[in-house]
Amino acid sequence: MTGSTFLFCDPISEERIRWYAGVLTAVNDERNLTRPDTISIFLTGDALFSLVDARTRLSWNALSSLPLIRIIADGDELHVQGLKDAVGSGCPYVHIRGHDSPEPFWESLVSTLKKEWTGTKRAGFLLCNAPYMSRVPVYMLRFLNGVHHADLHPELYTYLNGVHTLHDGQRPSEFENIGRGVTALARDAALSGRDSWYAACSRCATARGYYQMNAGTGFCEPSSCIQEIEIRPLKQILARFSENHPILSHAAGSIVLRGEPGGRVPHLLVCITNLPYYTEWTFGGLSLAIAAAMEGMPTTILFIEDGVYALHGTQEVPKHDKVFNIQEMIAVTTDVTNLRYCVHGPSLADRGIQISEELSMVGEVADEDLARIMYGTEEESSKSALRMIFF
Amino acid sequence: MECDQMTSTEPEDFTDLTCTNLMIKLKILLKKLPSGDSLAFFATREQVDNTCSPFTGQGYQVSWDQEAENQYLVRIGK
Repeated sequence: MTGSTFLFCDPISEERIRWYAGVLTAVNDERNLTRPDTISIFLTGDALFSLVDARTRLSWNALSSLPLIRIIADGDELHVQGLKDAVGSGCPYVHIRGHDSPEPFWESLVSTLKKEWTGTKRAGFLLCNAPYMSRVPVYMLRFLNGVHHADLHPELYTYLNGVHTLHDGQRPSEFENIGRGVTALARDAALSGRDSWYAACSRCATARGYYQMNAGTGFCEPSSCIQEIEIRPLKQILARFSENHPILSHAAGSIVLRGEPGGRVPHLLVCITNLPYYTEWTFGGLSLAIAAAMEGMPTTILFIEDGVYALHGTQEVPKHDKVFNIQEMIAVTTDVTNLRYCVHGPSLADRGIQISEELSMVGEVADEDLARIMYGTEEESSKSALRMIFF
Repeated sequence: MECDQMTSTEPEDFTDLTCTNLMIKLKILLKKLPSGDSLAFFATREQVDNTCSPFTGQGYQVSWDQEAENQYLVRIGK
C-alpha cells in the first residue's frame, strides 16, 4: 500500500499545519501526484498541546476535514499533560490511543509503518535530543520497543545532543533511565535473535567528549560510553538510510509512494525550521543532508518556517568566532550531485523577508511545488519513498 | 607537489571534522584564497584520502607530510 505517516513530538505551529494542508490540497487537485491510501499523523509530547491551543485548533479542524487524514494522539501523554478530557470532547476527529487501547499508540505507529513499508525487516529512530532535558529519548525507547515487539530489528542513530544517550553511569532520580533502556532493548533484541543496530555520530560524540584522541595511536576511542552504542562516522550511519525501512525522529515523516519501496534508495527531505545560529539544528540538518547527498542519496534541503532566516541578509562570522557561516556553506555546496536546495515562499512572505541576492540559486517553492517534492513520482520515476526530517 | 607560496598563518587542526564538513570548509577557504597562495592544515589519513586528494582533480596542488601518528600536515595551493 501507499501511505504517509508523520510523528511529531515537538510543538506544532499553526504555520506548519497550514502549509501541510496546502500541500495536501495540491495533492488532491493535481492528477499527476500520487495520492496516498492513508495519511496518518501521530502526535505525542508537546505536539499534543496544538490540539487544544486556540491558535492551532482551527487549523487541525480544517486539516482533518481533508480526505484520507487520520490523526492519532498518544493517550498516555494526554493524561500526563492533563489534556485527555479537552481532546476527548473537543476533537472528535482525533483517535486517542493509550496503553489500555486495543492497539496502543506506539504499536499503532509501528504497525502503520510496517504496512506501508511492505516487507521491511527493520525500523529506525534518529535521536537528536538529549535524555532528561527532553522527553524525546523516552519516546524513542517506546518506539523501538514497539519495533522489537513487532518482530522487526530496531535501529538507533544518535546525532547532535542525542549522543548523550551514550554516557555510561546514568542515574536519574526522577526520570526513566535512558542508558539502561537502550541496554535492555539491545539485550532483549539479541535474546530474540534480532539484528539490532545502535550508533552515535563520531563528530557529535567527539564534540561532547565521548570520543577522545589517544595520542599514542592517533585515533579516537570511546570514553565513558555504554557498550551497546557504537561511535561511527556519519557516513556509516547514513548508509543505513540507503536501505528501505522507516526512520522516524522527533519530528519526521515517511511517505511511501509505491507499494514496494524495495530496491530504490529513499529520497531524503530535510526541513530546516529553526533559526540559524542559536542552536545546532540548522548546521546539524545541513551537515546531515549534504553528507547524505554525497553518499548518493537524492536529497532536498527545504528552508521553511523560521528556517528561512538562514537565507536572509548577508551573514558574516568574525574571524575569532568558530562557527560555520551557514550561507557560505550553502553557496559552496549547490554543485553537490543529488542535492537540491529550496525555500518555502509563503514562509518568507509571512515574515516579510527576502533571501539574500547571493543565494539566488536557492529556488523558491510554493505549497504546490512542495506537494510535487513530497508526492510527485512522474518527474523522478525512480522515487518510491521519501523520508522527511525536521531540524 | 610544491606550492608556489606558503601561508604564513599557523596551520589549523581539522582532524575532528567529518569528511563532508572538511570538504565544505576547504571549499569555503579555497574560494577566498588568492591565486598563488596556499592553505595549510592538519588532517587525518582518512581525511587526506577521502577529502583532500580529490582537490587535485579540481585544479589545486595538494601535498602532505606525516607529522604524527594519523596526523598529516596538508597543503593545498591555488
